[in-house]
Amino acid sequence: MSLQPVPVRYRVTSSQAETHDTVTLGLEPVDQPIAAHRPGQFTMLYALGIGEVPISISGGPAGPGLVQTIRSVGAVTKALCAAAPGQLIGVRGPYGTDWGVADGAGQHVIIVAGGIGLAPLRPALLAALAAPDRYRAITLLIGARSPDELVFSGELDSWRAAGADVQVTVDRATGGWTGHVGVVTQLLDRAELDPAATMALVCGPEVMMRLTARALCARGIPPGRIRVSLERNMRCGIAECGHCQLGPLLLCRDGPVISYQRAAPLLAVKEL
Amino acid sequence: MDPTAADDGALLMDAGALDRLHGALRDAGYQVIGPTVRDGAIVLGELESAGELPFGWGVALAPGGYRLRPRDDTAAFGHSAGPQSWKQFLHPPREKVWSARRTAQGFEVDPPDEPAPRLAFLGVRPCDLRAIGIQDQVLGRGEHSGSRYAARRAGIFIVAVNCTEPGETCFCASMSTGPQAGPGYDLALTEMLGHGSHSFLVDVGSAAGAEVLAGVPTRPAGTAATERARSAVAGAADRMGRSMPADVLRDLMAGSAAAARWDDVASRCLTCGNCTMACPTCFCTTVEDVTDLSGDNAERWQLWDSCFDVDFSYLHGGPVRSSPRSRYRQWLTHKLGTWHDQFGSSGCVGCGRCIVWCPVGIDLTEEVAALQAEAQQAEAQQAGTGEEHP
Amino acid sequence: MNGDPASMLSNHAFVRGMSPGYVERLADAAVEIGVPAGYRFFEEGGPADRFWLVTAGHVALDLHTAQRASLIVETLGPGDVMGLSWLSPPREWQFGAEAVEPTTAFELDAAAVIALCDSRPEFGYQIVRRMAAVASRRLHATRIRVLDLYAAPGQRAGAP
Repeated sequence: MSLQPVPVRYRVTSSQAETHDTVTLGLEPVDQPIAAHRPGQFTMLYALGIGEVPISISGGPAGPGLVQTIRSVGAVTKALCAAAPGQLIGVRGPYGTDWGVADGAGQHVIIVAGGIGLAPLRPALLAALAAPDRYRAITLLIGARSPDELVFSGELDSWRAAGADVQVTVDRATGGWTGHVGVVTQLLDRAELDPAATMALVCGPEVMMRLTARALCARGIPPGRIRVSLERNMRCGIAECGHCQLGPLLLCRDGPVISYQRAAPLLAVKEL
Repeated sequence: MDPTAADDGALLMDAGALDRLHGALRDAGYQVIGPTVRDGAIVLGELESAGELPFGWGVALAPGGYRLRPRDDTAAFGHSAGPQSWKQFLHPPREKVWSARRTAQGFEVDPPDEPAPRLAFLGVRPCDLRAIGIQDQVLGRGEHSGSRYAARRAGIFIVAVNCTEPGETCFCASMSTGPQAGPGYDLALTEMLGHGSHSFLVDVGSAAGAEVLAGVPTRPAGTAATERARSAVAGAADRMGRSMPADVLRDLMAGSAAAARWDDVASRCLTCGNCTMACPTCFCTTVEDVTDLSGDNAERWQLWDSCFDVDFSYLHGGPVRSSPRSRYRQWLTHKLGTWHDQFGSSGCVGCGRCIVWCPVGIDLTEEVAALQAEAQQAEAQQAGTGEEHP
Repeated sequence: MNGDPASMLSNHAFVRGMSPGYVERLADAAVEIGVPAGYRFFEEGGPADRFWLVTAGHVALDLHTAQRASLIVETLGPGDVMGLSWLSPPREWQFGAEAVEPTTAFELDAAAVIALCDSRPEFGYQIVRRMAAVASRRLHATRIRVLDLYAAPGQRAGAP
């Protein structure tokens, strides 16, 4: 099937503010819906006349609708975050590689999320929680900037009820927070796991992913069993513009989800 | 095709019949694009007649240097490494991707519907022919088979011209892209001058080529002429001024991330991006979203971009590749190394344009030789210290 | 809790790799405690005369500021060492510490451990090396937090 650069239209059906700068949009197709997506994939979202950005799909695969969580960091994301129910936006996708959660069958799946990195991991968590008996255990470790910058904070208890061990830590506590304070690797250090039967999915700022992956390797988990989601400048999303290169990889096609075994030597080169 | 096989069925055409070829192409519905002299260079433009070809003009090439020079013969194709390549027609510098207009419900998106032009490329050098094939792989095949590039490419007729005279900066032979044209042409010409005659050996590469040639006066070339043409082309391979160690480039690039040579070239490179504009395989683009004053009509345009641009790798507040060192390294290691991983071949065809059109004369064959020397020295040192350490 | 203190202590990450003899000496200076949520281990400015090896639960290190009664700077859990200020002058707590949930730990008498270190330098070297490793890891983690990695580009660290 040939990749098309022309967007299809989706209507915003819901807009939920996660934090002061992050919004989760619920979208339903107006035109032909995009193909079924898998956890870890992304779309290019278009705000009329302003532009397009790559945004990870943050919801489960049920139905033709899309759930996408956007952080306002520039003109396009600002417009998308301001999109009200009923408004149309353009969508292209789904693009990229997926987390492959099913590869963790019979193992302990550890999901480590830093900041907005929880958004692309949420579909993987939901996929695992839809069939929890398939896995030895499901653990979610969340690092956030502060308690009021936690995304999906209202869902953590339902994830616990569904069988996930969910732990949250913040870099900076604000009033009333009685939970963990510290970097997310500190939660990892205290977690019980059998390195021979673990698969880890990690997403967040690149430094956080490098440190987390290193900490996982230090626990004995093979780099091939650690998956990260990498990001580079993206303009087309369909492997034609050359922007998202990371060494030999075109992240819109060979990523964004990559095994740490492949990613480690690339992340180690400055300015690659 | 064995370059020394006698009488392999090739045809012969007098130089005077070039105009008939031009006419036949026009009759077949093609706009004819070819080299022509303009503004002190040999550029590619629409030819109203074969007379607009640069008969008698050659070029003097050097790192950072290009001058037209009058030849002492009337060769039409006695030049190389002009500032442009055929990519400007197949992969235009500016192109509308789609447009959108605001409606009561929101907006409607309109894909572009301009029909792809039918173009005949008259005078495609073997290196450039390979470059077209490389861009076909990146932009027109597999998942890209429905692209605008693919649609434009389908309407192209190619008249290749084999090389008998390498330019000073050419290295197609070591990159296995010339001086003999590989597959992909509709017709291939080999220019022959001397003994008071000016003619072309013609090879037919496709049914479309045969059809067009039917409107041009030709005769069987015969053994002598065929041998002369084939050995002239083969001989050009031995007269290249530069070469590259093509079979080690991928691994050399992969192992060079920390090479000191990058600092050396960075002290010279202006990051102007001329090389990427002149290179026939560079394909990177960016997108621009524009609206009219009312804000109700929007268009998305695709523009050529260059990895030398500091914003090329912009991410979360700054560029990933901010130093010139990292940007030159990206260009060269992609072109010669990771292109293999991404697209299954080298990205370099040995045309030498990047050498000629670099304002400071950076020569990638020289850079590769230096990187190779550095790698070999590092290897030797490692082997040496391995013995000495207790 | 069952089992002799030395064998329980030997399970703690702080003494991993330490010779059993040294672990026993350390155990002599240790007492196992279990505290309820809300228990204050120490206050900012108080004498740093003890340190703890946390075995279960979790503890918050805090500061009181004009705006807040208690601002948590870090939390520690099982496997962590609590208290770094006991080893060197001025031996004064820089923060307060409160159990966030029921917590168990080995409480060590700083003066006793220091006396042991002074009289048995090889033992002292082991203790100091381990404390240095704890401090180093904590410094590393703190530097990462200071980078404010989760902030949006343009967001200033420290901004509300």
